[in-house]
Amino acid sequence: MRGAVAAQPRGNHRRGLSIQLAVNIAVLASIYALIGCGYVLIYRTSRVLNLAHGELMMVAAYLLLATASLFSGHPLAAFAASALLGLVVGAAVYLVLMRKMTGERVLAAVLATVALGILLRGIVVLVWSAQQQYPGQALGWSNPALALPGGARISAAAAALVLTTAAAYAGLFAFLRYTRWGIRMRAAGQNPLLAAQRGIRLHGVYALAWGLSTFTGGLAGMLIALDAGLEQTMVVIGLKAFPAALVGGLDSLVGAIAGALIVAAAEVLLIHYVNPLLADVVPFLVLIAMLLARPWGLFGTREELDRV
Amino acid sequence: MRRTALTTVLAASLAATGALAQDAYVVGLTGALTGPAAATYAPVIEAMRAYVDHVNGKGGVNGRQIRLIVADNQGEPSKAAADAKKLLAQDKVLVLINSSLSSTYAPMIAEAKRAGVPLFYAGAVCPKETYPPADPLQFCSTAFGAQYDSRFAMGFVKERAREAPRVGYAAMAIPISRGEIDYAESLTKQLGMTPVDKEIIPPPTPDYTPFATRLKDANANWVYSWAPWVTQVRTLEALRRLGWKGDYIAYAHIQAEDELERLKDGDLYVFGTNAFFQDTLPVHAEIRAATHRAKLNYPITQLTEGFIAGLVLEAALKGTPWPPTPQKVLASMNNLKVDTKGLRGGPIEWTKDNHFRTRQYYRVYRWDPAKNAIVRVKDWTALDVK
Amino acid sequence: MPFASGYFRTSYARELRLVDTRAQAASLTVFLAALGAFPFVASSFLLDLANQFFLASIGAVALMLLTGYAGQVSLGHAGLLAAGAFTVGILVKEANAPFWVTLPAAAGVGALLGVVFGLPSLRLRGLYLAVSTLALYFVVHYVGSEYETERGFSTGIIVDPPALGPLVVSDARAWYFVLLAAAAATVVLALNLLRSRSGRAWRAIRDHETVAEALGIGVPAYKLAAFVVSSMLTAVAGALFAYYRGFVSIEAFSLFLSIQYVAMVIIGGMGSILGALLGAAFVTLFPYAIEALIEVLPTPERYANLVFAVNYAAFGLVMVAFLLFEPEGLVGIWRRVRDWFVLWPFRQRPLAGTK
Repeated sequence: MRGAVAAQPRGNHRRGLSIQLAVNIAVLASIYALIGCGYVLIYRTSRVLNLAHGELMMVAAYLLLATASLFSGHPLAAFAASALLGLVVGAAVYLVLMRKMTGERVLAAVLATVALGILLRGIVVLVWSAQQQYPGQALGWSNPALALPGGARISAAAAALVLTTAAAYAGLFAFLRYTRWGIRMRAAGQNPLLAAQRGIRLHGVYALAWGLSTFTGGLAGMLIALDAGLEQTMVVIGLKAFPAALVGGLDSLVGAIAGALIVAAAEVLLIHYVNPLLADVVPFLVLIAMLLARPWGLFGTREELDRV
Repeated sequence: MRRTALTTVLAASLAATGALAQDAYVVGLTGALTGPAAATYAPVIEAMRAYVDHVNGKGGVNGRQIRLIVADNQGEPSKAAADAKKLLAQDKVLVLINSSLSSTYAPMIAEAKRAGVPLFYAGAVCPKETYPPADPLQFCSTAFGAQYDSRFAMGFVKERAREAPRVGYAAMAIPISRGEIDYAESLTKQLGMTPVDKEIIPPPTPDYTPFATRLKDANANWVYSWAPWVTQVRTLEALRRLGWKGDYIAYAHIQAEDELERLKDGDLYVFGTNAFFQDTLPVHAEIRAATHRAKLNYPITQLTEGFIAGLVLEAALKGTPWPPTPQKVLASMNNLKVDTKGLRGGPIEWTKDNHFRTRQYYRVYRWDPAKNAIVRVKDWTALDVK
Repeated sequence: MPFASGYFRTSYARELRLVDTRAQAASLTVFLAALGAFPFVASSFLLDLANQFFLASIGAVALMLLTGYAGQVSLGHAGLLAAGAFTVGILVKEANAPFWVTLPAAAGVGALLGVVFGLPSLRLRGLYLAVSTLALYFVVHYVGSEYETERGFSTGIIVDPPALGPLVVSDARAWYFVLLAAAAATVVLALNLLRSRSGRAWRAIRDHETVAEALGIGVPAYKLAAFVVSSMLTAVAGALFAYYRGFVSIEAFSLFLSIQYVAMVIIGGMGSILGALLGAAFVTLFPYAIEALIEVLPTPERYANLVFAVNYAAFGLVMVAFLLFEPEGLVGIWRRVRDWFVLWPFRQRPLAGTK
């Protein structure tokens, strides 16, 4: 393999590079968007900021390890089972813990999610130990790289992630627009009191929102774990996706996509052309700029500000 | 009420430790058993604990048991300082052991100095103070050593490369890794090679591809990484997915043996100081047995480092006549030669002004796709530590 | 502490007094004497715990002023602690400055950052404000780590103990008195602020911003003032932390630290200085209490490896339990117990609204 780094013609090389950068932006934006829609779903329906989202998504990814040994030889079945378990875990978290926090101060509810996060991290160490895990290996699935036109490349897991994000958003839009439960969820988010008076069971709707949020977050967690392995720092990735959701507007799914694209593009381009060290702060700098200029986000609803 | 309950608990624990301390060498360890850094340190600590049990099972040292008290500092300086205080004041330990992030060092050094108790780094980065001329109280058995590692690695690159090396670097955005990579970059120039690109990657990164794209774009044919394993290996994986075909050299952390087998990458070189389990030395069987008895849920290959720390501790206590005092342990540590039973390229030797080791031995391994096995690329090579 | 069992105040001056009854004054004296005697009987481990508690209580009281009284949520507390500590570290390293320069400098940096952290509060509320402080925390963290690496202090900056001529504060007992004094000064300052005009303005802003404005309170100015005072105190706590631990490293100021301080405020009980102190004590001592408990309880050998993970999870569990079952925090428990004793055999206060 040595010496194979053949020099490409310069112009061709530039075009290849820009396509690769576009692919990188798409992948990173998909990660942020798929994680971010979990924040949006919960915030939009129940006005709670879920800071345990990273932990919940990590738990779903770890559950993949468990289901992988349960359904050995059927990677897709294991994947689906783990995603559904994520849904159940999310709904259970609402019913057991967060239900009691409705009507409490904003900070108390946020802190409850933080406490939940600490608890979940402890449980994960307890069950799976702190070391690096590879769910891909447990599933018997290797992660080949796919060549794209223009010389760009993408790993299969990352490609799956982009497609899953697209499918998840399409599904969520359809769900919220056309299904009975989706309309209930929107109603509960817009005016809980009126919704309750019209006979919508708020707790059921909120539990569903938590379930769906953990489900989508879990999909992201599992795909990241398949791409790069799994350990405790996945929590921080969950937190890094949060600025993206906020830039777009915490109560807008379209906003989550737009925010993810903006933050991802800023991050990838700054890493490439300015300084890789900036990667850590860029999402938060974009966030500060947004909060000062348009606190409710690109697509958020303005009245939200006074309600919080 | 709460306070009385707490005092009772503390008093009770005091009484419990007092009774046991009479007939054992008491040693205290504080390390990152939980928290974000646990993956690196927990296996070392658990293996050390298993080794101490193993020694105690064989009758202990000089006919006495070793009592290893373990505290979890989660990588937090305040917790490490409080642990050190408790271990020194309440448990009257002979040696303090640190297996945690470097931010926990300073408060522990202060405590160790005040009490005149030696401080032993096991599995944690060796601070400069253990290199000659060494600080009187600080000792280190950890495999990797700043500067020596890069000196060896860059020498290896120069020797191995067929065409002029254009070296790229991957560091983690923590001070210790960045410092080492900067040092390696200056060494590269001294050796007449060309540094082309340096990536400093924040610890948790959702996607390593943007960094890898830059390294590939800079047309590096060698990439050197000295960072925690996660950063090293994920950068490599991202590079390979981009179709990069150059050579990659990284430090062989405790996970290296399993990881080479998982990655099956013929151009990934890992260099380190610990022998892999493929050597099947007698001591490896010993590690296996001790681990089995302690029911550790870590892969056996990750436990070598903790076992070596255990060997060092045993040797230091063996040179300490009964009744032990920290001063006697210190005297023993200042003149120590530990037989590593083949786990390292040679003995670990500590002298009065060298608390790191007099010689650092390196080996290079890689996966050989033709043989479908891990092979040694370069056998023990010694660097003198002066 | 004994309390008046009824409402006996006859003047405003009496209403504002910090110490209400003579018996209270007496018990306060006994309490202070006990605090003074503590370092001469306690082991150095307990002394260190006490010192950690004093440091934490400064930060907790500062956050209580901001969040519990002025109603401004902040998740950036660790950033301010880091700023204070780094001010000390940088001044000591670059200019070899003594502590009587670095401490005021830390306070100044804190005040300045308070303005920066507080500016978003003029536009944002609640959650959005919390997020903006979180974002600023990351910026401070980034600057700190850049300084550390660029200057080559990769294992942290060593800070020598503060000295005034021949007087060096280095042993735990000396530190105990220094930190006790600092914590006490903070508490007295906070109590004084709270019974003055600004304290009343903060409470009005917390309870209803529009009404506060209608009452003629300059809302933006008082909001900024809350941020400045809180940040200044926090930065000083950070500076003291740097001196006490003898070193500064950005790794010591993780986001988890911010969360711990918020936990202190919540577990202690919102809107109470006593709550901040109880919360600080609880959060600081809890891990050690669990550890001591585990050490006393006979743990089977094969579970020894799990103990630490259990300890880690327990903190989360206790926090959840507090939020679910005791939303008023430790101070709520304390009030119930106190009322039970004070009012016995009655169940209710004759006149509601006493403190």
